[in-house]
Amino acid sequence: MTRRIARLSLVGTMLGLASMACGQSAPPMGANLEGVWKIAAPTTVLKPIAGAVPFTAEWRKAYEANKTLRAQRKFDDYDITLSRCSNPGVPRLALTPMRFKIWNRQGVVTFDYEWNRALRQINVGVPPQPDLMGQGLVPTMTGKSKGHWEGDTLVSVMQGGSDRTLIDDLVPHGYDLKVTERYRLVDANTLEDRITVEDPAFFKQPWTSVVTYKRQPDAIFAEDVCLDRIAAKQPAFSK
Amino acid sequence: MTTRIPFSVTPIAALMLAVTPALVQAQQGPPGPPPAGGQMQLPPGASGGPPPGAPTGPVLTDAQKIVADLPPPGPGLIPPRPPLPADAVMPTADPRDLQGTWVNNQPLQFRSQRDMYGALAPYTMAGAKVLSRRVMSLKAGKPFINASAICRPPGPQWQRDLNFPFSIIQDKDHVEVLFEEYHGRWYISLDPQGVPLPMQKQYMGRSIGHWDGGTLVVETTDFRQAIWLDVDGTPLSANGKLIQRMRKVSDVGRVPFLEVVTTIVDPTYYTAPWTIVRTFGWAPHQAVFAEYNCEEQVGDPSVSADAGLVPEPRD
Repeated sequence: MTRRIARLSLVGTMLGLASMACGQSAPPMGANLEGVWKIAAPTTVLKPIAGAVPFTAEWRKAYEANKTLRAQRKFDDYDITLSRCSNPGVPRLALTPMRFKIWNRQGVVTFDYEWNRALRQINVGVPPQPDLMGQGLVPTMTGKSKGHWEGDTLVSVMQGGSDRTLIDDLVPHGYDLKVTERYRLVDANTLEDRITVEDPAFFKQPWTSVVTYKRQPDAIFAEDVCLDRIAAKQPAFSK
Repeated sequence: MTTRIPFSVTPIAALMLAVTPALVQAQQGPPGPPPAGGQMQLPPGASGGPPPGAPTGPVLTDAQKIVADLPPPGPGLIPPRPPLPADAVMPTADPRDLQGTWVNNQPLQFRSQRDMYGALAPYTMAGAKVLSRRVMSLKAGKPFINASAICRPPGPQWQRDLNFPFSIIQDKDHVEVLFEEYHGRWYISLDPQGVPLPMQKQYMGRSIGHWDGGTLVVETTDFRQAIWLDVDGTPLSANGKLIQRMRKVSDVGRVPFLEVVTTIVDPTYYTAPWTIVRTFGWAPHQAVFAEYNCEEQVGDPSVSADAGLVPEPRD
């Protein structure tokens, strides 16, 4: 297993060189995030690094209402990820319990999730394209993430997300959600995502959480189909 | 190793690039005499039609006659796509490096009933009946439920055929294809011992590949269930096999394109293997995918879970 990880790191370094050759917002050496990762301490809660989530008074009520709905198992009334397998969005995807891969290719950092084959991308170098199909007019679960490199850290700012997602398994937000993430390698096998959440209507001030991941052996993921679990009366997120 | 081509590629040029065997396949009509209307000039004294003694066209089997009598497939379109920027990064010159983002550059083929040479597919009677049943269900306005309708992986052929981009990512021992639509993932192991494929059957099948010169040959088998090869329902049984030959075609001075020649092997529905071809344009500017989230609609309790489709009768 160790040998496999070492080989992956070497391949990753080579791929990093290839990216630099393409001249596409390549990360500096040593900051190659590519590989297979898994959350280090599985949780469904995005916990602030200090204090509690600073809800505004109005939206604390919405949070409490979500807790009541959860107790009543009325999942579709507040969490369509649990009830329908809808994409959890950003930042909740950061909490998925299964593995994910990171690819940094063609000016795009792609998060390739094992859970339901979900996808999330951070654009670090693809020029804006004409929106011929009008797709940009509709808020999406993962919004639009624009990224850049600050030294060894990938900084992503996500906006334009749908209000139909949650921050974690309970915390609501609105269309004005802005999620700033700072991804960096703590060491060769540990990835950190420092997440700052802003939404003035919902939170009195920005708040920050940190999620860490451990590198996993390279693998071909099994085809995970969340709707098959729902059809089998199993939870959307398998353990 | 990256090269840039110093000219822009307009949509028209992109369409010209699609003039390939695959497009020829799409444009071929049914065999028979040339259309009336005086377009063909014959020499004085000559009559139309084949000369005496010339071999006649292929004789259709009873199964093929069933398919030939079906309403023709709908005309496919190419959805609007942004043109390739003049300064776009080009694919590497390495023929064994297929990495990058590609998109089908031909009109969507709703029904692949002819092979790449224009011959009608060699249906068994069972294959003709299944296809006929599906086409007639469309005509009746009561189409059958398929994987696409219920937000399940529709199989590699359907997935590739859609006019939406996909990205190929390679390692030395496996290839991963990420599709914009259906959360599509197509994993190809080049070393099944070193990089094992999942043990359980997958909707997308089990794909093992190897390089044949500059062509990646991929055999896909072991499907979790029978799949539709296209929107009209050209069938492939769960025991069927797809053999895909993928290569990058590079003409000097032109943007390379990806060619995928697919041989369909399925004795349940076809009397012999038959082969279709598709081409895919280079699209690095479409590497940021639009989000696909069919679960939100499929699971909505206020709408029909099966999108108004009806269950297909079992054979």
